[in-house]
Amino acid sequence: MALNLKRKRDGDVTPRKTRKLSEDDLDAVSDVEEDESEVDAGEDDEWGGIEMAQNMTAPVAESTGPGTKPKLPPSGEELRVIKDASSLFKSSTFKLQVDALLPTVRPKAARIPPLDRFLQTLHGVLTNLPSVAPQHPLEAARKLIKKGVSVPFCLPQPLEDTNWKVAFEKPSDITMVGSWPNKISVKAKDGCKFGIDLAVEMPSDLFQEKDYLNGRFFHKRAFYLATLAEAIQNSKSLNVELTYQSASNDPRLTKLVLEPRNDETHDDFTKLNARVCIVPVLPANSRIPLQRLSPSHSNIRISADGDFASIPTPLYNSALLMALIPRAHLLSAFTLNEHTPSFGDALTLLRVWANQRGYGEGSRLCVRGFDSLGSFWTVLLGLLVFGEESVNKAKRKPLGRGLSSYQLFRAALDFLSRHDFEKTAAFHKANQGHRFPPEEYEAHHEAVLVDSSSTLNVLAGVPIGSLQLLRTDARKTLEELNATSVANDLFSNVFLQDKRDLLTRFDTVIRVDISSAQPRSSSLHSTLDTGSPANALISSITALLREGLGNRVNALAILHSSPSTRPLSQALPTSPNVLYIGLIHDPQNALRLVDHGPAAEESDPSIAEHFREFWGDKAELRRFKDGRIIESVVWDIKSADERSRVPAMIVRHVLQRHFNLDATAVQSWQSGFDQVTKLPEAVSRVYMGSGVAVGFKGAMVAFDSLVKALKALNEQLPLSLAVVSPISEQLRYASVFSPVPLSESLAQSLPQNARYLPSMEMILQFEKSAKWPDELRAIQKIKLAFFERIAMALMSSVKGLKARVVVGDGVTTSKIQDVSRLDIVTPEGWAFSARIWHDREATLLDRLITGKGALPHINFPSQKKKGKANQEAVDAKEVYLRRFIHAPRHHRAITALNHRFSAYSPTVRLVKRWLASHWVLHGHISEEVVEILCASAFVGDGSDLHLEPDSGFIERSGVPGSKERGFASVVQFLKDWKWEEGLFVPLYGPESAAGDPLPASNNSRSGVWKISTEVDREGNVWTVHGPDAMVANRVRALAKATWDYLQNMEEGELDVKAIFIHPTDDYDFVVRLDPSALPRYAQNIDSSLAIGGRYMNPREDPDESLRPEFDPARSLYDDLQRIYTNTFKIFCDPFGGDRFGVVWDPSLRQPRPFRVLGGFSSTPVKKQKETEKDKGLVVLNEAGILCEIERLGAGLVRELTVQV
Amino acid sequence: MSLPSSVAGFTVLPISYAGTSTSTSTHYIYARAHTGSKKANTSKTQTLPDGRTLFLVNVPPDATDRELVLLFKTSGTVERVVFDLDAQETPEQEDDDDDSDLSDDAADANNANAEEEGDVDMQQQPRKRRKLDKKPKPPQVTPLPTKPLRPLRPTGRTAHLVFLDASSLERALAPTQKLRTWPTSDSEPTGLARYAALYDSLRPPLDSVRAHADSAMELYEYELQQTRREAGKYKKGEAIVDEDGFTLVTRGGVYGQTVGGGVGVASKVFQAEMAEGGKNKKGRKGREGKEKEGFYAFQKAEKQRNDLLELKKNWEADKAKIEKLKASRKFKPY
Repeated sequence: MALNLKRKRDGDVTPRKTRKLSEDDLDAVSDVEEDESEVDAGEDDEWGGIEMAQNMTAPVAESTGPGTKPKLPPSGEELRVIKDASSLFKSSTFKLQVDALLPTVRPKAARIPPLDRFLQTLHGVLTNLPSVAPQHPLEAARKLIKKGVSVPFCLPQPLEDTNWKVAFEKPSDITMVGSWPNKISVKAKDGCKFGIDLAVEMPSDLFQEKDYLNGRFFHKRAFYLATLAEAIQNSKSLNVELTYQSASNDPRLTKLVLEPRNDETHDDFTKLNARVCIVPVLPANSRIPLQRLSPSHSNIRISADGDFASIPTPLYNSALLMALIPRAHLLSAFTLNEHTPSFGDALTLLRVWANQRGYGEGSRLCVRGFDSLGSFWTVLLGLLVFGEESVNKAKRKPLGRGLSSYQLFRAALDFLSRHDFEKTAAFHKANQGHRFPPEEYEAHHEAVLVDSSSTLNVLAGVPIGSLQLLRTDARKTLEELNATSVANDLFSNVFLQDKRDLLTRFDTVIRVDISSAQPRSSSLHSTLDTGSPANALISSITALLREGLGNRVNALAILHSSPSTRPLSQALPTSPNVLYIGLIHDPQNALRLVDHGPAAEESDPSIAEHFREFWGDKAELRRFKDGRIIESVVWDIKSADERSRVPAMIVRHVLQRHFNLDATAVQSWQSGFDQVTKLPEAVSRVYMGSGVAVGFKGAMVAFDSLVKALKALNEQLPLSLAVVSPISEQLRYASVFSPVPLSESLAQSLPQNARYLPSMEMILQFEKSAKWPDELRAIQKIKLAFFERIAMALMSSVKGLKARVVVGDGVTTSKIQDVSRLDIVTPEGWAFSARIWHDREATLLDRLITGKGALPHINFPSQKKKGKANQEAVDAKEVYLRRFIHAPRHHRAITALNHRFSAYSPTVRLVKRWLASHWVLHGHISEEVVEILCASAFVGDGSDLHLEPDSGFIERSGVPGSKERGFASVVQFLKDWKWEEGLFVPLYGPESAAGDPLPASNNSRSGVWKISTEVDREGNVWTVHGPDAMVANRVRALAKATWDYLQNMEEGELDVKAIFIHPTDDYDFVVRLDPSALPRYAQNIDSSLAIGGRYMNPREDPDESLRPEFDPARSLYDDLQRIYTNTFKIFCDPFGGDRFGVVWDPSLRQPRPFRVLGGFSSTPVKKQKETEKDKGLVVLNEAGILCEIERLGAGLVRELTVQV
Repeated sequence: MSLPSSVAGFTVLPISYAGTSTSTSTHYIYARAHTGSKKANTSKTQTLPDGRTLFLVNVPPDATDRELVLLFKTSGTVERVVFDLDAQETPEQEDDDDDSDLSDDAADANNANAEEEGDVDMQQQPRKRRKLDKKPKPPQVTPLPTKPLRPLRPTGRTAHLVFLDASSLERALAPTQKLRTWPTSDSEPTGLARYAALYDSLRPPLDSVRAHADSAMELYEYELQQTRREAGKYKKGEAIVDEDGFTLVTRGGVYGQTVGGGVGVASKVFQAEMAEGGKNKKGRKGREGKEKEGFYAFQKAEKQRNDLLELKKNWEADKAKIEKLKASRKFKPY
């Protein structure tokens, strides 16, 4: 491009010609030039040649400087920057954000000089160390331990009868390696320090050719390290803390960590927040033969029987290779950095992204295998840029070097999300081709990514589960970046937020205390290969769990705290005692109840033998319906809730069988979550005993048979029934409790306060007819006539069915609003309530509201009819729209979601329960909006909603697979959501987007949440009445507190029920209700204690008939909310809550002048002094209102507690 | 205890509740003689005659007329209780407009209406049309059976009490510090019992629902006939006359004529088009604009220049936004 900008300064080329030249290339640039010449031809000279490019920025800065208006069109250079930002990055904002992020995670240049001075001193000390004569290793160790330094000998430990010696010579070379010298260091999480790796080369004389055997090299290395430690400790010129640290808790990879003591001297680099790590390495010309270190070689040969000779030791070999390649890595990173200008930035982005997700050191849980895997990210990017060393024909194309940092970052994520490390190995392009046969890596390592030197598998020892998790995370981020709709804060989502929490990442989280584990079969060899018993145990746990879970999970990750430093006196690293096992379910297979093993007629008996050995007494030979006889494992569950626990059950079983870890050592939290959406034991037992069909299935069967019965009535009704649409949350798997019927006989066996029968709403739509009256009041009356006719007909056709017409709701006095409905109780005890939808109502209401009538062009003289009648019509219209237009659509959409996402319904139920138990559901937040809110965690950008679940597309990875994860995602969302910005949930799928956006009601809204869908662009159908700003803030605070509490999971102290206990301290007063008068008390979160006859005291009429939907507490709550709407805010748990919490409107508690329409109960303010002038002030009459509440709730309210 | 006996011209009436439990709280009602506003129409003055109407503010939310009558029994006999008059005024005027072509004595009907609105019921709506036409008796609506139920109104509302004579009003307003005891009437239950009663009363027996619905429909049919008859044979409706006395020309009469007959009116399609705000005009404009766009070189250049300026402006805006975020340390990931 710069070429095109070139113009001769002496002007021998006319501007015209230049323009032509530039038109060949980028249009944008040519545009500028044309403009330039068009606007001001005299300034042609402003364009310099290539040599001027450096100076270009100066005039740019001038023109954009403060005070000058950006009148001039952008110059070429500026334009290039702008265009680059939007084409090479996601958007120009994104680019600026990236630019702002990068400096914050890099070391500050101003703080580096003390470090350099320190390193010089250190170099001086190290190069002047005296040598130590060869001696027996144990003897040498004994000498050192007297000085407080123990030698980190790894397994197999040197014995007294070993005949080799350890010695020390001053290092032959000291090099800085790792990311620091290439200036590609990235800050780690939680204030962990930058690491400056010093490769200290041990003279090759110290080693012999056979040192690769039996850990002899590592012992010599350990002694070398310990001697260095001892020397530095005694050195006068170095004031540092010395500790050991072992990568992955592998004693073979121990390094020496130097941290400065804060003494303000000239070489104190505390401020830099860095530490120097000393890593002993082998010189390039060492005597250890490289070919002995290929993955298939066996280098440990100590055992009674000679079998070991043949078993390869891949991890041991990799650990040894680590001593050979630091310099090679340094050089390849350097080449990469030179070759690709954006490499450093891309690596930074990638590592920040990874650190935020726990792939790196930090104080919280770290994904196993990734604690000190810095080289992985460099090798990964190198692989992308330089391409792959071909194994077969399939060769990955190298990326160009001109990519931007963001593009490179994306390419890395893309690779991670596509590449299946389980199946295929990846090889970095190497200069000399493969050094070891590629198949060897695949045969002996779980995951393979071989570096540029073609020797070391950087993923050695990383469990495949960790890479599966990495893959899921990469996929999730890519989905976010690709989403068509602009997410709220994409950048912070990808780079700035800590995503290490367990609950939103994993469908099942299990905490295991492995300190008491006794492996059923432990192999000495694997202990020696992995380096320590703990590592061997963890890798065997991983392997067995993978076998047990099979294709049920997409990822099985092990997390534990990252390795810590240890004092010099401690030779071996302490392994973590607590493991967290995170499972990401495969929605298709996770909840399978039967695992099939080999068939009975299997020829090879060892397969069946292995299956039995693996599952123990769980394995049984079963005969299936299709005649097969197969070894199988059956997981029996008692209820649908338990089904989601099958993966956890498998983990428990495997741990129990193979590691003898009993229930106390294995902890999971699912049953706690199950418990809160269940009826108490006493109630559910009655239902179990009665044998009636319960649950969502039962309710839907009852609904279907009712619809059939209604349709059969066509002869007896004046109009035939066209559509019956359910709109009840119980008919879409969204009610907190699974629905149960309540017949007269059942009611007798239940306590008084468990006899609540919710009725399920539905909408009846009749065929179109011109016979309907064309007047709203008459329509409402004719609905009554319809109901009466249906009721009579139904009762005569279905035996035992009861139907009653409900003429109003006791509150609405409007005569144009739809209020009447039909209550139906089926013989089995299911309650329904039906309403009639007549679409003419909408037109008639519109006429009333706009006042236009049937003649649109005529504006009737405005009669200022914004009075009550208009308001009444607006209210009626709103109810009409919500009830007849939006509710059925919403119901259908939610039902579809349930079929699509198995975890959706339990999530909704859990979130509803949570909001209810914190007293905001129903009164302030409608049930429907909760459903939409939960859906937002599942539907993504809604682009795949129309696809069939089994059409073979790739399931998005952000979709929660269990209710715990769904719940945590919603809580996390509520915690961070800025509700001012609104939320769009594509609930209805893409095809509905083109459809008619339904008319928005023009009512003023008090709710502040704005949750819009395709059919509700304004986002106020379900949030128009709340939550208001105060409640919305409250919900945010609640979510924050709940979220913080959920993090206790990482300490293992999480009591699920505590999340659902509401603190009542901040209410001004609390109204306690009498539990015996509440028909729903059984649903209370704490009710289990009250069931069992304690509140069985009979009321006046013990044989009263059942009252579906009769809930005096809710009626009282609604009344109080309505009566005192301007006086206080009232909160309660709709599910059998026995307390109301109330907060006064604080402004009313200040004296204010008396007004006739003040809208609150007041008391005159006493005069301070007799002489004072009467100002007519009044103040809230708190005592009077309390007394009123007590009166209004006579028989329900037990006491009022005023809290100060 | 020296509470002011009056606040802003209102007499303060302290009320205590005897029935309720231990708490000895006092409720305050503010009372004043009702004075009709000057521009009030006749109907209002007739409803609330000056001189013997008491205006109460901050009536307890659960008060019934009976209780209010009993409360002021010592002062005199109460003729009528009207709750929340201000909130009800508007709909009644609304009704006036709707009915003006039907009834000649709207005010009279309204008067009766206002009386009934006092005790909120479900069924009194059509009754106001009783007096419309004497000759064919309009059908009577069978009311739904109701139990006496205590209505609950929003707190702090107002009520008007009409006494039989003026002297009672003076007695009622006599300043007193004495606590009055609220006469709770037991016929209308409160609390839990009220909810149970409400629940049952909302579900009346089926035959009475049928009787009610049938009679309501009969009345509707009857009224429809009345309107049709008045509409006349060929006139099809009556001319609409607005406030200023002008007759509106509206399509809706026979043969494309105005309502009430007389002049011809344009078709509905045309009207709808006009109502949408002159689509045609826009179309013409669009065509013109199309011809001119990018016709001259300078226009094209200007457009490009403006696009670039816009680009730069957005860029600067983005930059400023990021700077602002940077200032709030937004970009420190950890």
